[in-house]
Amino acid sequence: MTKTSVNLENPQGYPEVPPKTDSVSPIVSRVREVLRRHKFAYLSVGTYIASMVVFGLIVFAKGSNPFSVFAVVVQSTMFNGGSIEQIVLRTVPISLAALAVAVPARAGLVNVGGEGQLIMGAIGAAGVGLAVGASVPGPLTWVLMALAGGIAGAVWAGIPVLMRTATGASEAVTTLLMNFVANDIMLYLIYQPWRDRFSSGQPQSQPLSQSAQLPSLFGSQLNLGVVVALALVIATWYLLKRSHWGFALKVVGGNQEAARRAGLPISRLLISSMLVGGALAGLGGMLNFAGLEIQLVPGITATFGYIAFLASWLGRHDPYKVLIAASLFSAIALSSNGIQLNFGLNGSIVDILLALIVIAPLFLSKNRKALTK
Amino acid sequence: MNGIEQTLIGGIAGGTAIVIPALGELTSELSGIVNLGTEGCMLAGALGAYAVTVATGSAEIGIAGGAVAGAIFGLLHAYLTVYRKADQLTSGLVIWFLALGVTGVLGTGYVNDAITPLPIVSVPGLSQVPWLGPILFRQDLLVYVGYFLVALIIFVLHRSRIGLLLRATGERPEVVSVAGIHPNVIQVVAVTVGALLAGIGGAQLSVGYVGTWFDDMTSGYGFVAVAVVLFASWRPLRVMVGAYVFGVALSAESVLQTNGIAINQYLLDALPYLVTLIALVVVSRRGGRKAPEALSRALTDVT
Repeated sequence: MTKTSVNLENPQGYPEVPPKTDSVSPIVSRVREVLRRHKFAYLSVGTYIASMVVFGLIVFAKGSNPFSVFAVVVQSTMFNGGSIEQIVLRTVPISLAALAVAVPARAGLVNVGGEGQLIMGAIGAAGVGLAVGASVPGPLTWVLMALAGGIAGAVWAGIPVLMRTATGASEAVTTLLMNFVANDIMLYLIYQPWRDRFSSGQPQSQPLSQSAQLPSLFGSQLNLGVVVALALVIATWYLLKRSHWGFALKVVGGNQEAARRAGLPISRLLISSMLVGGALAGLGGMLNFAGLEIQLVPGITATFGYIAFLASWLGRHDPYKVLIAASLFSAIALSSNGIQLNFGLNGSIVDILLALIVIAPLFLSKNRKALTK
Repeated sequence: MNGIEQTLIGGIAGGTAIVIPALGELTSELSGIVNLGTEGCMLAGALGAYAVTVATGSAEIGIAGGAVAGAIFGLLHAYLTVYRKADQLTSGLVIWFLALGVTGVLGTGYVNDAITPLPIVSVPGLSQVPWLGPILFRQDLLVYVGYFLVALIIFVLHRSRIGLLLRATGERPEVVSVAGIHPNVIQVVAVTVGALLAGIGGAQLSVGYVGTWFDDMTSGYGFVAVAVVLFASWRPLRVMVGAYVFGVALSAESVLQTNGIAINQYLLDALPYLVTLIALVVVSRRGGRKAPEALSRALTDVT
């Protein structure tokens, strides 16, 4: 018996259909492939361009040329003598307040109180700085001010987290409310006990004595605070990514039940993450005060605390990325002056720019989630 | 008119600017979306109402302008959080920044414009009730809108199909689709309506209680509205009480000022926020009702 071979692929012996060839040219299909593989990157670029177009339209609607406004934003921040230094100086409080968001976020806590913690840091530093005056050597004053600022910030973050662990009150809301209380305390101090009697015009606190001010670096506008802030960013990175504490925080933030079963002290971790965060923001307030402002003035923080929250989110709560986002926002906040001077537009137009920069990735949240799934 | 009466009249008028946004936030949160942008929606509403009032000469039409302005910002928040799955708190703060910028840029022209604010309307009969009458029933239109909204929301939430769908969405969005409505639709509507109410609350500030426009005039009232909803554990009546308490704390401050009582103004400014904080702690301690499930998931999921 001869075996007839049966083609398993085509048992009925239909005439062969030639394999379907891609009708598009290999270049087009290659482009498609690249687009598919890097879809998220292109979407990101696309949404950023779209958000800048929206900003341009708003500027245009107010009767200014969008291109010249963008030119001024770039020119006044990048190519203006000394403005890079100004950006760096403002990055100090923004980045430290952003770390105050990033550290608790690791443990799953939401700290919207960077603003208040910055203010309390400045108040603590001012209290010590004004009390000590020129009576002790500068470096000792700096240390004392840093301690006072850090503790004040930690206390201000500590109250909401204690409320959370003791009663379950949402820290997202309590930290937010604490900002307004801090601001009112500062205004009280500026208008009454610490008021500078010799200044006319806008009320402000007495200035910090010359020796208590942070020294400038190599004759530039930058001061010692910049170095300290950079060191703190690195230290925070180490704490979060390399230390046992940082790992424990991540476990608590990821799955509290698992953390409980692993025997981790959850309340203590939650509280410590917030205290460290608050201390960082408090130091930010202190460095901003002792290095740059040297007087308490109303609006000293200029919504830096809230900008910091957005910076931390944009940087995915990762210290280095957060630093980059903080620098970007600092530059945008600074460009407000240039826009006001050159176009007579209200300086708060930069708030729109800032919001649009964050809306772009918010818009892509769904795509990002699909990507990481 | 003695100081206490004065304080309470101002407390009801100012409290209305918290009551209406807080009811809006309640609607939004019950559907499972927290809107920190309430502050921004109020700001937009305040300017929208003011601008329309300047243009038409009627503060009543202005209210509609405020409502629309608030709703536009609310719609953006709803789109980002519901359809784009954006982080709710971050999106809320961004909405606030956007509103700060937009009202700052568009509002410069209105700072010096004068308007005729909402007139005081006395309810015949009721306003004659001794003591309580003038406090509750000799107020501007929006105060009465506030009373009405509390009753309306209580009715809708607990006596209607819409309310049931809304609450179900907040607890478990998947279940609602069985009723033939996509939960996303309910959430978008709830957030937008909530923002619309926030806009009306802003209008109460700019064309009602205060009667002017200035930059950042809501100064945190929207955030307080969010807090009020939390410590009221999502119950409309408690929301109302909490909001009026805040209003009274606010107005006590200005009454004490005008009567020359020597307490520093800024320490008094902190009082309403402290009252809210303490109330939050007390209520949480007593174990208020649990948050809608979808909401607590959103609040604790930090990404």
